[in-house]
Amino acid sequence: MKPIRFFFKRALILLFPALWVLTGCEDVIDLTVANAPKQLVVDGWITNQPGVQSIRLSWSAPYFEYTHGAPILNATVTVTDDLGNVFEFTDANKDGRYEWGSDSVTLGHVGRSYTLSIQNGTDKFTAINEIKRVPTVDSLVYQKETLPFTPDNGPKEGYVAQFYARDFVGEGDTYWIKPVINGAVKTSDPTSISVAYDAAFGAGAPSDGMIFILPLRQSITTDSLYLAGVKIGVELHSITTEAYDFLSQVRDQTSNGGIFATPMTNVLTNVVNSNPNGPKALGYFGTSAVSRLETVIDPAKARPEK
Amino acid sequence: MKIKILLLYLVLQLISPTPYSLAQQAKNTISGYVKDAKNGEGLIGVSVYVREAQTGVTTNTYGFYSITLPAGNYNIVYSYIGYEKITKPTNLSEDRTVNIEMADESEQLKEVTITTSKEDENVRSIEMSVNKVEMKTIRKMPALLGEVDLIRSIQLLPGVTTVGEGASGFNVRGGDVSQNLVLLDEAPVYNSSHLFGFFSVFNPDAVKDVKLIKGGIPAQYGGRISSILDVRMKEGNSKKREINGGIGTIFSRLTYEQPFSEGKGSFIVAARRSYIDILAKPFLKKDLRDSKFNFYDLTAKVNYRLGNKDTFFASGYFGKDVFGGGDFGFGWGNATATGRWNHIFSNKLFMNLTAFYSNYDYSLGQNQNDKNAADRFDWKSKIISTSIKPDFTYYLTPNNQLTFGGQYIKYDSRPGKAIAVSEGEESNISLEPRYADESALYIGNEQKLGDKIALQYGIRYSFFRNTGPGIEYEFLELTPGQRKLPILPGNVYKKGDVINTYDNWEPRFSINYSVSSSTSIKASYNRTSQYLHLLSNTAASSPLDVWTLSSSIIKPEKADQVALGWFQNFKDNTYEASVEVYYKKLYNQIDYVPSSSLLLNSYVEGDLLFGNGRAYGAEFYLKKNKGKLTGWISYTLSRTERKVETINNSDWFPARFDKPHNFTAVAIYELKPRLSLSSNFTFTSGTPATFPNSRYVYNSWPIGNNYENKRNNSRIPAYHRLDFAATLKAKRKLFGTGEGEWVFSVYNVYNRRNPFSVYTRINQDDRLKTEAIKYSVIGNFIPAITYNFKF
Repeated sequence: MKPIRFFFKRALILLFPALWVLTGCEDVIDLTVANAPKQLVVDGWITNQPGVQSIRLSWSAPYFEYTHGAPILNATVTVTDDLGNVFEFTDANKDGRYEWGSDSVTLGHVGRSYTLSIQNGTDKFTAINEIKRVPTVDSLVYQKETLPFTPDNGPKEGYVAQFYARDFVGEGDTYWIKPVINGAVKTSDPTSISVAYDAAFGAGAPSDGMIFILPLRQSITTDSLYLAGVKIGVELHSITTEAYDFLSQVRDQTSNGGIFATPMTNVLTNVVNSNPNGPKALGYFGTSAVSRLETVIDPAKARPEK
Repeated sequence: MKIKILLLYLVLQLISPTPYSLAQQAKNTISGYVKDAKNGEGLIGVSVYVREAQTGVTTNTYGFYSITLPAGNYNIVYSYIGYEKITKPTNLSEDRTVNIEMADESEQLKEVTITTSKEDENVRSIEMSVNKVEMKTIRKMPALLGEVDLIRSIQLLPGVTTVGEGASGFNVRGGDVSQNLVLLDEAPVYNSSHLFGFFSVFNPDAVKDVKLIKGGIPAQYGGRISSILDVRMKEGNSKKREINGGIGTIFSRLTYEQPFSEGKGSFIVAARRSYIDILAKPFLKKDLRDSKFNFYDLTAKVNYRLGNKDTFFASGYFGKDVFGGGDFGFGWGNATATGRWNHIFSNKLFMNLTAFYSNYDYSLGQNQNDKNAADRFDWKSKIISTSIKPDFTYYLTPNNQLTFGGQYIKYDSRPGKAIAVSEGEESNISLEPRYADESALYIGNEQKLGDKIALQYGIRYSFFRNTGPGIEYEFLELTPGQRKLPILPGNVYKKGDVINTYDNWEPRFSINYSVSSSTSIKASYNRTSQYLHLLSNTAASSPLDVWTLSSSIIKPEKADQVALGWFQNFKDNTYEASVEVYYKKLYNQIDYVPSSSLLLNSYVEGDLLFGNGRAYGAEFYLKKNKGKLTGWISYTLSRTERKVETINNSDWFPARFDKPHNFTAVAIYELKPRLSLSSNFTFTSGTPATFPNSRYVYNSWPIGNNYENKRNNSRIPAYHRLDFAATLKAKRKLFGTGEGEWVFSVYNVYNRRNPFSVYTRINQDDRLKTEAIKYSVIGNFIPAITYNFKF
């Protein structure tokens, strides 16, 4: 249940004076961990938007190595949809980035399922996913806010942006909410991955068919307030519940720590070796349909500060 | 077969005439209460020894004792650690009621020479795996921020560990924090912490006696599988009005005690409140000025003695932690109420009837009280248990003390009542309330076989029912070890329906073999079961964790424990030593899928995994009871493991509170009558941790992976800490009559940044970089001054 994270962040600011003497401290230390054999990694996500679709293949690396992972070259990568259409992805730049299409063509369509096949040497991997329906984003609003303190990484005065959209009726729609800043999708911080189950956080708390609830609506404002004149927006991606679990696990693993840490667990993968005894792969092959809306922050149109 | 013969033998022993009655003599009973001469508090566990008959009993938790002997003249010796021994010649030509008042040794120090009393209860008693810490010891030990704390003191005992500094609760012999039955005047306390886990809810000024039972758990206790922490509140001074209080760094305390009806009754009221918010207020800027951060508790008890046969007690506890500011609010607290009636049916049959109510609740939300807010979140959770519990002690013969009774508990669990309002659109995301009841019957006997052997054996039968209304789901497993999906719509039950039932037979057995008057060997076995489970997937348990009842998916937790111990006292009981080994098996232990969602989740059972546990260890304990220097040294060598489906490839892994080495030393030195010094030292192994050994980049995020899929395969650095305290009694009388004392303490003297955990993360400035972090809860030494007064 993620409102807790949201509330705790605010609570900790308030608790700070009470805990001044008990506040924990973090030190970066050297940690030695045994190295593990390298594994094939799939980093790919296709959408229903026109444009080049890309799937990156790389090798896993020792945990403390500063690397994107060595690219896997000369693999055969195809995506096949449930109508039998085959899309061949090629690594033209020889950097492990296998691509298909151009700015004018679309690969993904809502309601279809897609199978990724990778032949790398003698190993054959597959991953299956489907593109689900996505609601339109109705509006974007922003409100003036003054923080009671000056943050390290942003202005003291600025705007909190939120989007409005309504979940479809019918239980079990899951979404990935991505902020868009000055035209670019901003998902660089895995600790602020925002995913929704219907209009709220999880399956066990029914919110079917509602307007996305507040902490989610504001999740396009991540670590700092926005300034006037900035073009802000949202991309709403429909995802499968498996992708919802994958993204939740990435977020939980990368934001773990402190007194209420959970045990480190491996993040799930949907990439399967056709030989059950063969080497296992990592990563995820994702698919989604996208709704997008953008606006420029105009102080005259902002909601007044509370 | 052997067991049957043994049982038959025991029953024959029980019903056959004792040697005394063989002589056809008339038998009479001496019974009564033993109290503290200073304040009239009943004394628990006083040894009542009949010199001529070479037999004895100890007083029960209400200070009552009873012993039946052939008519004759006897010298009855009452002895108790820290109190002056009393020898009372008694002519037992008829039944007698002898109420005794014992005087504190320290009060008498100057006037009388201390007689050598046999305070060898630890050797002679059938109890094993039991630790008692006297409140006066706890008061003198150094404490974090000078706040005397019962749970933190308990953590220094053998066999007890904690996940880390600031973590709530304690772990006993491989059990998790929810497997300890924490009783305050017989009512269970669900969350024993203030401020997450830094302080415990027990006001030290109101506590009379603390006992931790780690093994050989007698049949009258049930409901948790690992330990019993039995906290008894003071009854209130029945001799004179008394006011105690203190001003500390965190809390201010005030306790008021007064007798009434010429000492037939008395009461105590004790209150504490943290006041850092009041001190901080002037320094806060406007937006934070309405911040709330405080915690308080109120403890009260009244007792009244009606004639010689009846005593009534009523006690209550109410505590809250309140945090908030602006439109945000967060709070939690316990409330308990206990009513008790002690009745002496005959001088051989004692009854205690307890009824209690215990409630733990928390609430969290935004604009909780503003019903018109466009966006609002209001979340409340609580668990209420109400119970009635009759307990009888029948002093059958001097060699047989029979206990029997039962308990009925009704559970009313509201795991989450939550309303989310989004742009005026309200959705109720509450969880269904759950109802259940638990009943138990028990019988036990404490039996002496000659001078050498003492036995305690008994059986407890517990019975649990989930009752309607309610919904239960079945779950579908798609990938082992990942979230299971509910099969909707679930099975709906009406009010009055019985959804599930479970029952357990819980045998308990202990034996004490006296090798000599100062040495004994003890062994015990117990089975325990637990129907209430704390769902908690975090390192330290959080106040938001939900107590969840057993269901068709969550099976009752069970444990079997065997323990063997050697107990020896030296130098006329100046030193007591013990070595104990134990082996414990735990069944139906709960673990969690990755990214488990345990709160406000109707399908929470789909996020649970189940397995077993095992724990074994050896505990070495040396305690010095007398002289200017008192204290103890304890060392525990232990291992605690779990085996859960899919986790760690379904192989055994160390539990998160597994600490193989655990050493503590506590010393209190009375330097001068006015000045005492004390020190604690703790050294424990670091807790286990799981680290990734490879990484991969997905969407520019480095993600860690443990290739072997291991859990807790590494260990963080060891924990060690030294604390000091000095207690100085003020020279001047407070307001002419009172006493005052200053307590100076330093916690973490050598300023060590002890790790709470080590974890890996992504560097926030360069997100391609992965790094390891050592997280310490307390990063410096903490001095504190406390002033205590009494008049």
